[in-house]
Amino acid sequence: MYLALLELKAARGRFLLMGCVVLLVAALVGIVSGFTTGLGDDTVSALRRLPATHLAFSPDAKSDQFARSLVPAETLAGWQQRPGVQATPLGVTITRGTTDRHAEVDLAAFGVEVGSFLDPAVEDGQRLGGDGQLVISRKLAEEGVAIGDTLTVDRLGIALKVTGITGRASYGHVPAGYVTTATWQAIRFTAPGASTPAAGLPQQYSAIALRAASSADLDGADGELGTRTVSVTDAYAAAPGYTGERVTMTSIQFFLYLIAPLVVGAFFGVWTVQRQPELALLRAMGASRRRLLGHTLVQAAAVVLGGTLAGAALASAVGLLVGAEVPFSLPGLALTATMATVALAALAGAALTLRRVANADPMTMLGAGR
Amino acid sequence: MTSLTLRQVSVSLGHGDARTPVLRGVSAACRPGELTALVGPSGSGKSTLLAVAGALLRPDSGQVLLGDTDLAQLGDGGRAKARRERIGYMFQSGNLLGGLTTVEQLLAAASIAGRPARRLRAAAETALGDVGLGHRLRHRADQLSGGERQRVALARALFLEPQLLLIDEPTAAVDRDQAGALTDLIARTARARGCVALVATHDPVVVDAATEVISM
Repeated sequence: MYLALLELKAARGRFLLMGCVVLLVAALVGIVSGFTTGLGDDTVSALRRLPATHLAFSPDAKSDQFARSLVPAETLAGWQQRPGVQATPLGVTITRGTTDRHAEVDLAAFGVEVGSFLDPAVEDGQRLGGDGQLVISRKLAEEGVAIGDTLTVDRLGIALKVTGITGRASYGHVPAGYVTTATWQAIRFTAPGASTPAAGLPQQYSAIALRAASSADLDGADGELGTRTVSVTDAYAAAPGYTGERVTMTSIQFFLYLIAPLVVGAFFGVWTVQRQPELALLRAMGASRRRLLGHTLVQAAAVVLGGTLAGAALASAVGLLVGAEVPFSLPGLALTATMATVALAALAGAALTLRRVANADPMTMLGAGR
Repeated sequence: MTSLTLRQVSVSLGHGDARTPVLRGVSAACRPGELTALVGPSGSGKSTLLAVAGALLRPDSGQVLLGDTDLAQLGDGGRAKARRERIGYMFQSGNLLGGLTTVEQLLAAASIAGRPARRLRAAAETALGDVGLGHRLRHRADQLSGGERQRVALARALFLEPQLLLIDEPTAAVDRDQAGALTDLIARTARARGCVALVATHDPVVVDAATEVISM
């Protein structure tokens, strides 16, 4: 250990430089991870908050189901008769509105039955009480909408009275708001400029939210009722942009995880080649192979752990600096897991040089064969 | 005091058909406290003999007795242990670890031998003073002359009080005056410490100072 530290001190410039490279890679991985989680939350947090196990869509909606799927009220009634299943309608539509205080906002309108298991609890104000009311997510409140405001849906003229605020939830990067299914149908089916009475609107929903017992025969119900049921988690892919964002960000992370061991491995490879004469000298002085390998691992660990910790701090600082305006989320567990992966990948890169360290030949100190 | 005895040592180097005999049945004895010069033309096997005597290389046959221990019978780990605990080396070049101060060169050797290096700093400074480098304690290898580097290597080789001191061409990189002073220092130190000093050399100055000469 002492010798390893002596060498670290003697070549501190080189090790510091390498530590900086590890820091940058770790910080980049952390930042990308933060954006991956943040963007994911921003896209599907409203779906994640749904206290349902499955969603049943119309069978013709193979992709982008929340926009394409329409399930009639008769199908809902069929699902409500199934044993082991609780079923309630769900409507999802993205729209825009303006408050009476002239705040222009986007709104992901979630249509739910009052009193159903989808009816959201509120942190402030009152729960959804009837048609024409709106419970907004905390994110929308942060954009300037308050309890008591009236939000008018653009081009439709439908007025929604804000009665309560629930936790942060968004869908497709748009803050969620909860209305009754009748209000949702008015938003979804009213043509711009028309004034269609609610009674004339089709009794259809985007999906049927299910709470299914493990014994429930979902496939059988799908067959009989003409629906296509997926788990709520699988339904995330139906959120706009979710899959594309996830694939992009995960690809970036994957390549960074590849780059980390390559960079660290290349550094320690060059470092080991450069110090072959010194390794040979140490072997000649009696240092065992195990000791030299230990030294190399200690040095690699110091560089990798130092760089990774600094990278974690930098990524966290970026998270704090960007604030709530940017979809960035890096909880402690995710940060720890990400940094542990970077550190392991980097140490694996350093480990690639161990064979060369172990094979340092003390005979070269005597010019073997001279 | 411990002596070094080689009996019928044979070594071949290379692999397969290219394997060439370098030492054939060499026998020699080196007494403690004396400077023994190992001489011979290039390619005669001086370095190979040093390697065998210093437990860097295992002979094909024969005995290499350091006191009662036959180094030829030791495995890789046993020979490494003998090198760090019983043998001091001073090589022709590349003796010093880059970036370390002269004191740290000695402490590195102590660390390898499992000694408490941090507590030996004062002893290391004394050892460097003994070879006339008391004013160079904080200097690195690249800040020293060739002769000074060799003296640091000598101080390090002797620091842990080895029974066997092996030196390869100590005067090859220094001028005549320095060669004389360095040789004198080696001979005096070997005598004072009572260790076996075996020196491979072409230099008549070293040969003249030796009490025994082994010709290859």
